[in-house]
Amino acid sequence: MASHATTEHTLAPGEIAKPNTAWIWRVFGILVGITAVEFVFVFLMHPSTLRNSIFIVLTIMKAFFIVAEFMHLKHETKGLIWTILVPVSLLIWLLVALITEGSFMGEVLQSMFK
Amino acid sequence: MAQPTTLPHPAASATHDAPRTGNWDGGNEPFKASYGKLMMWFFLLSDAFTFAAFLTTYGMIRHKHEVFTGEAKDFVFSTRWWPIPDHVFNAFPGMGEANVPLGFVALMTMILILSSVTMVLAVEAGHRMDKADVQKWLLWTILFGSTFLASQAWEWGHFIHGHTEGTVMADGTVFHGANLAMNQYGPVLFADLFFFITGFHGTHVFSGVCLLVWCFIATTNGTFEKRGHYEMIEKIGLYWHFVDLVWVFVFTFFYLV
Repeated sequence: MASHATTEHTLAPGEIAKPNTAWIWRVFGILVGITAVEFVFVFLMHPSTLRNSIFIVLTIMKAFFIVAEFMHLKHETKGLIWTILVPVSLLIWLLVALITEGSFMGEVLQSMFK
Repeated sequence: MAQPTTLPHPAASATHDAPRTGNWDGGNEPFKASYGKLMMWFFLLSDAFTFAAFLTTYGMIRHKHEVFTGEAKDFVFSTRWWPIPDHVFNAFPGMGEANVPLGFVALMTMILILSSVTMVLAVEAGHRMDKADVQKWLLWTILFGSTFLASQAWEWGHFIHGHTEGTVMADGTVFHGANLAMNQYGPVLFADLFFFITGFHGTHVFSGVCLLVWCFIATTNGTFEKRGHYEMIEKIGLYWHFVDLVWVFVFTFFYLV
């Protein structure tokens, strides 16, 4: 509430500070831009592992802006940032492990009756 | 042996051990965050694990199934291979059988991102103790959230009723649309995962809209004004952004990849 205390200090009682919203609309522009780029790739590129990788990178970029700016995590203490990021990053291992497992199961099932 | 008579009464220990003042009553504030906000972060972390488990399951099951190897224009629905998303999700309300690949989901994504923006604007207005602005932006957020839910209902309806051509199933009959046991688009699990993942996300959006309506009522009643801060809006805002964040991932893995 530190920011709140300082605004009160400079304002007359009952007066309301001017909105500071430029940064919000800037982040909105970035998110819309990234989504537009995703659609460009959907229609102009044939499906491939490269295209999927591009989608995942763009998704993580969008996630970064939502979490860092809208959820304000970028401006929290380092301890809180790591508390959130470390457990989430372990999920990447889960994802890679189970997708590999899925491909293997598929291979076994599809060659079973050949 | 005499009982010591100088032991302080348990209830008085707090004052005896003074100073114990401070944000969390331990003299400090872990992570310089309020208790409620930190617990919201931990809840969202656990919720992220739930959604990650769902999406990982999607990835695993998809990789277990055959891939359609031909040209995208020759693609036909079959229970043998996983469908190409822009062939499944290509309808737009009021446009009948027109082929608008991913058009409606693009609109839904825009609506949800916009609702996130109006949510931040409400939080920002709360920092300035601007009650009228908080009310205005909360109403916009509720509107966009409800619009998203309505769009999802339409999307589900279309998915369940299906395309007119349908798909010939293993027993030779033509099947339209989808349910948990059968669908015209591809393997059974494709529709199951669609219902579970988008349904679970939709439930989150619905809970979020309910919380926002409650926030709007509390703001209007002046509850936060009297409390001296609008932190509740920030906490519910965190939840709302998380729901938007999950949609960003669902959108990529269900509709794009």
